[in-house]
Amino acid sequence: MAVERNGAEVTPPRPAADRTPPPPGARLAGQAGKTLLLGLVAALAVWGAFPLVSAHAWPALGALAVVTALIFSVYLSKRRIPLKYLLPGTLLLIAFQVIPVVYTASTALTNFGDGHRGSKQDAVVAIQGASVRQVPGSTEYGLTVATRGGTLVFLLADPSGGTFVGDAKGLRSLDPSSVTVSGGRITSASGYSVLNLGEANARGAEVTALSVPTPDGAIRANGLTRAFDGKASQAYDAGCDCVRDTSTGHVWRADNANGSFVDSDGQKLPQGWRVNVGLRNFGRVLTDSRISGPFLRTLVWNMAFAVLTVLAQFALGLLCALAMHSPRVRGRSVYRALMVLPYAMPSFAMLLVWTDMFNQDFGLINKLFSLNVDWLGQPWTARAAVILVQLWLGYPYMFLVSTGALQAIPKDLQEAAEVDGASAWGRFRQVTLPLLLVALSPLLISSFAYNFNNFNAIRLTTEGGPFPPTDSSVGATDLLITYTYRVAFGGQGAQFGFAAALSLYIFAIVAIISAISFRRTRRQEEVYS
Amino acid sequence: MRIRTAGVVAAVSMVALVVAGCGDSSTKSGGTGTPSKAAGGTLVIWADDQRTAALKPFADKFGKDNGVTVQVQAISKDLQTNFVTASQSGKGPDIVVGAHDWIGNMVQNGAIDPVQLTDAQKSGFADIALKAVTFNGQVYGVPYAIENLALIRNTDLAPNAPSTMDDLVAAGTALKTAGKVTNIMSLQVSQTGDAYHIYPLFTSGGGYLFGTKANGDYDPADLGVDKPASVAAFQKIAAFGEKGSGALTRSVTGDNAIPTFTGGKAAFLISGPWAIPDIKKAGLHYDITPVPGFAGGKAAQPFVGVQAFYVASKGKNKALAQEFVTNYLTKPDLQVALYQANPRPPALTTALNQVKASDPDLQKFMDAGKGGAVLPAIPQMAAIWDPFGKAEAAIIGGADVPSTLAAAAKTITDQINK
Amino acid sequence: MSERAGAAAPGLSRPADEVGVSGRRGKASSSAPRERANHGLVRSFRRVGWRHLVGVLAVVFSLVPIVFVVSAAVNPVGSLSSTQLYPTGAGLGNFTDLLRTTAFGHWYLNSVLIAGLSAFSGVFVSMLAAFAFSRLRFTGRRVGLIALLLIQMFPQFLAVVAIYLMFGRIGDFYPALGLNTQLGLLLLYLGPALGVNTWLMKGFLDTVPRELDESAVIDGATHAQIFFRIILPLVTPMLAVTGLLGFIFTINEFLLANTFLTTPETKTLAVGLYGLIAGQRNANFGMFCAGSLLTAVPTVVLFQFLQRYIVSGLTSGAVKG
Repeated sequence: MAVERNGAEVTPPRPAADRTPPPPGARLAGQAGKTLLLGLVAALAVWGAFPLVSAHAWPALGALAVVTALIFSVYLSKRRIPLKYLLPGTLLLIAFQVIPVVYTASTALTNFGDGHRGSKQDAVVAIQGASVRQVPGSTEYGLTVATRGGTLVFLLADPSGGTFVGDAKGLRSLDPSSVTVSGGRITSASGYSVLNLGEANARGAEVTALSVPTPDGAIRANGLTRAFDGKASQAYDAGCDCVRDTSTGHVWRADNANGSFVDSDGQKLPQGWRVNVGLRNFGRVLTDSRISGPFLRTLVWNMAFAVLTVLAQFALGLLCALAMHSPRVRGRSVYRALMVLPYAMPSFAMLLVWTDMFNQDFGLINKLFSLNVDWLGQPWTARAAVILVQLWLGYPYMFLVSTGALQAIPKDLQEAAEVDGASAWGRFRQVTLPLLLVALSPLLISSFAYNFNNFNAIRLTTEGGPFPPTDSSVGATDLLITYTYRVAFGGQGAQFGFAAALSLYIFAIVAIISAISFRRTRRQEEVYS
Repeated sequence: MRIRTAGVVAAVSMVALVVAGCGDSSTKSGGTGTPSKAAGGTLVIWADDQRTAALKPFADKFGKDNGVTVQVQAISKDLQTNFVTASQSGKGPDIVVGAHDWIGNMVQNGAIDPVQLTDAQKSGFADIALKAVTFNGQVYGVPYAIENLALIRNTDLAPNAPSTMDDLVAAGTALKTAGKVTNIMSLQVSQTGDAYHIYPLFTSGGGYLFGTKANGDYDPADLGVDKPASVAAFQKIAAFGEKGSGALTRSVTGDNAIPTFTGGKAAFLISGPWAIPDIKKAGLHYDITPVPGFAGGKAAQPFVGVQAFYVASKGKNKALAQEFVTNYLTKPDLQVALYQANPRPPALTTALNQVKASDPDLQKFMDAGKGGAVLPAIPQMAAIWDPFGKAEAAIIGGADVPSTLAAAAKTITDQINK
Repeated sequence: MSERAGAAAPGLSRPADEVGVSGRRGKASSSAPRERANHGLVRSFRRVGWRHLVGVLAVVFSLVPIVFVVSAAVNPVGSLSSTQLYPTGAGLGNFTDLLRTTAFGHWYLNSVLIAGLSAFSGVFVSMLAAFAFSRLRFTGRRVGLIALLLIQMFPQFLAVVAIYLMFGRIGDFYPALGLNTQLGLLLLYLGPALGVNTWLMKGFLDTVPRELDESAVIDGATHAQIFFRIILPLVTPMLAVTGLLGFIFTINEFLLANTFLTTPETKTLAVGLYGLIAGQRNANFGMFCAGSLLTAVPTVVLFQFLQRYIVSGLTSGAVKG
């Protein structure tokens, strides 16, 4: 069925006598293709099941089985047509976008962040591990890792020449005549097979875990060639749910509501754990005036940035498309090829280049135009600067699509308007523009959505600045997403839980705005669909 | 039809990618047991791009000598954050290389283990280096380089070393009026400020960030940012700012501070040992002296930073990592090699002595750092950088000093007490 | 067609002019030479000159930063603070340094493969979904559409921890798909592919008239045949545009790639190039610019290749009034 591509004409449905049925082989080819693909899915599922089975990962195996069954049931049934088209995308979406987002959103109910990343057990292990100190005045041993009958032992040599063997039961002296010592370490011993570093590392976990009990502490490996007599000075006492310092007796009690160990002075141990804090993060966004205050201002600028960027790109792109839309312009393809270059250059590189161009003293812009404007240091010039950069980066794309859309507009419409005596501007405004907008509105909307969360555009240029002297957390060009990033990763370490709560708020606001605007466009869509 | 050809192309490239992916995954961290890998396992080290290049030959040598494979991987951005995140999920490296002020944050996340150095080993390091890597009484990393700021001046333009900041600004202004330079001096500020670079002037003017406890540790409860001493210090700094003599401007950033000096646009540069390679490449005659303080003020105290190797507590090859860090890195060879790749004074005294003779700059940097303050490694320090820097930028841009500092102090206190 | 073609609106630009295509039958601009002769330069400007002016200004606007990048790339001492547009010397030193001292070749291959595959598969998958949203009616259609767009609004970087956990587990079972693999990153990029692309393509698909579908159904075609044999060929321009968009987006993506890929050979161009200037901004800026120029090449090639689709008519259905 031929469709002319060079213009607006579309072949209307042909009369019945003209229609030819699809070639007979097509249906067969379709079935064969489907069988092949389903076979591939089955093969993948089976291949994927093996590692899961050997690792006894039953939930994952269950998920795999469910997904495979779903795929088969959808594609083999005669009905459920929409699902057949939606399934691949939906599966990918759920796996790699929805699940991470849901997981992250769930962290909004916790105090997940630096100092509170792991479980309480992790914190206890970290505290105890961090408190291991060498017993003062104890011997430093040269260590050799060896095995006897498959069990790991430590062969120890002390500086005075004594040789010992240690295992989980304790330390025993080793007859000096049965060993060779060189360089402070035992290099061979009868009855034991010495491991070299690589082999010792292969059993590294055992090496680290092995501690030889001694009267004042325990001998542990320090690397693979030394050992020391160490003692953990802090130990967890489950009875009182606290951490006790074994030498000073200082006690830190567990504060299970906030996820840290606190002593009587209010001093906390650095290692904490993640706890559920309910709606505290959400409340903080609303009640903390340092956060809720700038929120509205940032939202307004965020919307303005997205709208202005799209408008500016569209306006310039359309202008260029209109200008190039005449056969009388010679060298059109040259113009086009050059105009499009900003779009082809890698954006992260060009953002950095533009930032340097805006430098007050050293930048190209001030030099070329003999200005001394502090572009990135004043709020309004900084805002203009980021929009200008986005204009540069994005207008070629709008230029391209406008060119395409312009050529699809039938000429008779233009001419009819001319007959009616419309001026060029009038023709444009009442004939061309509405048709363009109908064709391009999905693009404009998706461009808006992209620029609303255009993280790199701000982060690689102004980093959100300039910042008012009184508030260093929100700058004049900050988008909601750059603000959230700063909250999540800046300040006193990462605060993922709080940032997640913030994102959910942003998400909710955007959802409401979209819902409202979609309601409005529904009417328009139904006219044209 | 174009779609079909595109489909074929896609299918072929998919196969290629799978093959490449399988190939690459087998050269990743060990466990797949390919014959080219040593049976002893793989040690993974994370560093940033610069240090990775320097580390590689030594990592390979260590691996060969001991029958293990050592992989050095470079993380381009956010190394500390990525390390902590990866560690937590069990996918982190065995060793990480970074600045010492990461220690507080890494410890509170349980990401690194203390290292046990013998007394003999400890005495082999410069005191200040050892102090920098000590946190809560435990040594957490093995230092290999010491860095601090100094005043680097172009001896062709400024033959005499200025003894105070005021002298420096006067000399610089004279050169600027004579048209020989365009900037009085080059100290990086940028729109978001730079606490590290302004600190010497800040201390010379009397300011302080944290008070100290009896035992010399920083006391996070005693924030000095908005105290009168600090306000006075910033008043002096403001006098040099954009509304004052113009010696400090926000248009000088981390990207263009050094090129401004090497391009001859400024006669004075306040920077660290990392600037020297570019300066040497530009062929300038230069001299290094301590950062001068304000006339009548205290001595300027630059921050002393230390680069160190850390052992990840959740690494898969902890014993080997400890072996590498405590027994291999503490020998002079590796420290000297790291110095040669990236000239900074080595932290190991024997290594320093080895290279001192051939590099006079080292001693000068060490002298400049003599009165320096160790960069605080407490976790609360992370709350300082951003607000303090932005306050500095605002003040240099001409904002009112007391209110700006008060706001910054409030932000910092809120963060610390959250 | 009216006979007033020559007499009406003398000198006004005719935006619907095309190179001798159907549309302007009969009266070609036979009166044009007389107009030009009569009204001279001003008319000429209003008809054609202003177009050249716009074109030239736009080209200058587009090229200035690129000229800066080019001159930094060929400048033997690539320094960022140089405020001149023209290099002090010219040479390919930066390019050779780049290829020799870094894993640029690997980055290039990785980026092109990942971007290309993700663009292609993303386009295909979202085309399927767009067809469903546009042509088929089912419950939750509108809600689904809105949800698709909304889920893109959630900041991706926050999901870093979740991604680490997820791909860490996946990598435990299937090493070829885990962290630090190109295949894994490809999968990660496919997740959001459904989002905006579907929305875009659904909009385009809506402009393809239903009559085509209906006549095919009368012929006895199944929905699959309608999809593959009728719709797909028709919308190739849209696919081309969306694919190009996806390609460019993926090549520029930095945040996730930085977290995901750690060995030098697996890195993409964005991550690798950024690493060049992360520490040594001044020293490596020349190489960085050289690398950026080389990165632009596949996009430009792809654009040239797809140009006819993009320009020849995006809405190949009818935009009839």
